[in-house]
Amino acid sequence: MKLWKKLSVICVAALLVSTAISGTTVIYHSAVYNQEKTVENYEQQLRAAAYAVGRELEYEPLAGFGEATANAYYNYILKKFDTSMFILIKDGKVVCNLTPFLLTDPDSERWNTFESVIQKKGRQYVLAACRNVPVSGAGGYKLVLVRDISLLYEDMRRQAFFYVLVYLAMALAAVMLIFVMTKKTLAPLQELQHAAQDISGGMLSRRAAVTVRNEIGEVADAFNGMAGRIESQVEALSSESERRRQMLGSLTHEMKTPMTSIMGYADSLLHVNLSEEQKERALQYIYDECGRLGRVNSKLMSLMGMYDNDSICLEETSVEEVFKAVAALESTILNRKKMQLILSCQMGRRLLDRDLMISLLVNLIDNAVRACKEGDSIFLSARGDVIAVRDNGIGIPAQEIPRVTEAFYMVDKARSAKAGGNGLGLAICSRIAKLHGAQLRIESRIGEGTEVSVIFEKQRAV
Amino acid sequence: MKILVIEDDTAISELICMNLGAAGYETLPVYDGILAQEILEKEDCSDIALALVDVMLPGKDGFALMEDLQREQIPVIYLTAKDDVISKVHGLKAGAEDYIVKPFEVLELLVRMEKVLQRTGRGRERITIRDVVIDLKQHSVSKNGIKVNLKPMEYELLVTLAKSRNVAFSREELIKRLWGTDYVGETRTVDVHIGQLRKKLDFHEVIRTISKTGYRLES
Repeated sequence: MKLWKKLSVICVAALLVSTAISGTTVIYHSAVYNQEKTVENYEQQLRAAAYAVGRELEYEPLAGFGEATANAYYNYILKKFDTSMFILIKDGKVVCNLTPFLLTDPDSERWNTFESVIQKKGRQYVLAACRNVPVSGAGGYKLVLVRDISLLYEDMRRQAFFYVLVYLAMALAAVMLIFVMTKKTLAPLQELQHAAQDISGGMLSRRAAVTVRNEIGEVADAFNGMAGRIESQVEALSSESERRRQMLGSLTHEMKTPMTSIMGYADSLLHVNLSEEQKERALQYIYDECGRLGRVNSKLMSLMGMYDNDSICLEETSVEEVFKAVAALESTILNRKKMQLILSCQMGRRLLDRDLMISLLVNLIDNAVRACKEGDSIFLSARGDVIAVRDNGIGIPAQEIPRVTEAFYMVDKARSAKAGGNGLGLAICSRIAKLHGAQLRIESRIGEGTEVSVIFEKQRAV
Repeated sequence: MKILVIEDDTAISELICMNLGAAGYETLPVYDGILAQEILEKEDCSDIALALVDVMLPGKDGFALMEDLQREQIPVIYLTAKDDVISKVHGLKAGAEDYIVKPFEVLELLVRMEKVLQRTGRGRERITIRDVVIDLKQHSVSKNGIKVNLKPMEYELLVTLAKSRNVAFSREELIKRLWGTDYVGETRTVDVHIGQLRKKLDFHEVIRTISKTGYRLES
């Protein structure tokens, strides 16, 4: 059963039962009260009549009269009270009866208790009450009041009927009102449900259009917040996987080119009639391309390694020592290209992973070497919170700078490949910098040179 | 008749040129897209019979060069590591004659080039090997000007070897090409035909047996 129906039914049931009980109680009590009042009223009349009759009968005015005369006198007295509801009993015998009823046992014990009794005769309700008539001297008179009070009950029944009628009409109206209002109040829940269904169906940008300011509105707000979070996370995930897919695509391409050469030259050596000189060149190419594959492989391995376990061993390291190690590693290539590495270290000790930092700087210097021509100088400096590698080489076009840290991205593919690059260097550098909580800033002007800075967070006192 | 080789990787470019040279083609290597465009715009390209074009080129990519190549009426074979269907369709739709995915075999490259050259009417009309001339139009072979009688299969075998000269064919490869894939005979059949060719043309030194592989026509 739907919630709105359930709520409506519960409300309606509670309302109907409570109003029915309260209404019935009120009606019942007013009926009882009416009846008591009526009885009391008649009792007062009876008492007054009994007193008056007593006064009339004082001094036995009837002594010595015949029965007929006495009866006429009784008649006369009772009629004086202008009622047709009294019966006069003397010594257990009815002496005068003006009522339409017949008193069956005037001698009954019942008339000694003076209790008012309501008797039901057929469809009639009859009130019967009795009093002694206080007569000084002569005793044995009793006045009985008999009165048909059906009208009272008729009234009560009519009232009850009217109440039921009003009750039913009101109940009908209330039921309709409750159903409509409940449905309207709970309508935002349906919107919420539809939104949830749409979102699970893949419409991640769907939000619940609920504007009411109540608990449902709060749930909807929370729901929308959750949906937003999920959407952004899914986006982040898919862009991440897209990045990985692109990297894998570049990787296969990067592997395929040397593989094509290796396979092609091997195929040629096996099947084609080449001159000795050509054979030698083919072998040389196979050797070179294998080296290229090996370099891609090892760089990729280190990149993967850094991605998979963010393990980094930060130790307090002397930056100057790192610089010396880098200079030693680069000396061969620098000598071959007749380039100079100019060191300037104004940084003391810092929390670094020595090996990773050396690898970062070696990568940056390798890039600089590729960008420069023979005889140029490369500057490696450390000052404040920044370690920088600067060269006066060919520079990077401005629009390419944001992409150069992507794995396998090369500004000039043909040139870099010839110079031994594979598009992984800056990707690795950026990763290492990130592991150190540092940023990589690349500034470059075409033809003037490039400066790559590793900007550390402000040094906390070590 | 030259083959334009537009490929940025020097190793691959030289690989192609080396093999095409061995098979008797003259090659013109170009290493980037912009240079290729300049050559196509400025120089006389009437002697270029075919272009082998790498898709991913610095400067201007292979697809973008299509227009220039078509203007010069040079048939194009794309040569690329991109082996997804969409770029293949894109290349062929743009008007390429064929599409070769790296890494490729030398023989495959030569055979496909030959097919494209024939289809575009640029096939060779005659092949000369030492003193033997094969007239591909007349389907005749002559040695020192004297006609040599070859059986049809012997002729086909000679043409196949001569078109990709200096490249070795395996016996299975030859059977597949000449007798069809449903041939159920022995590979010895090839040896018999080779023997006949050697005898009739005095090609004992020209058609070499390559151990573990098959045969190669050298010149």
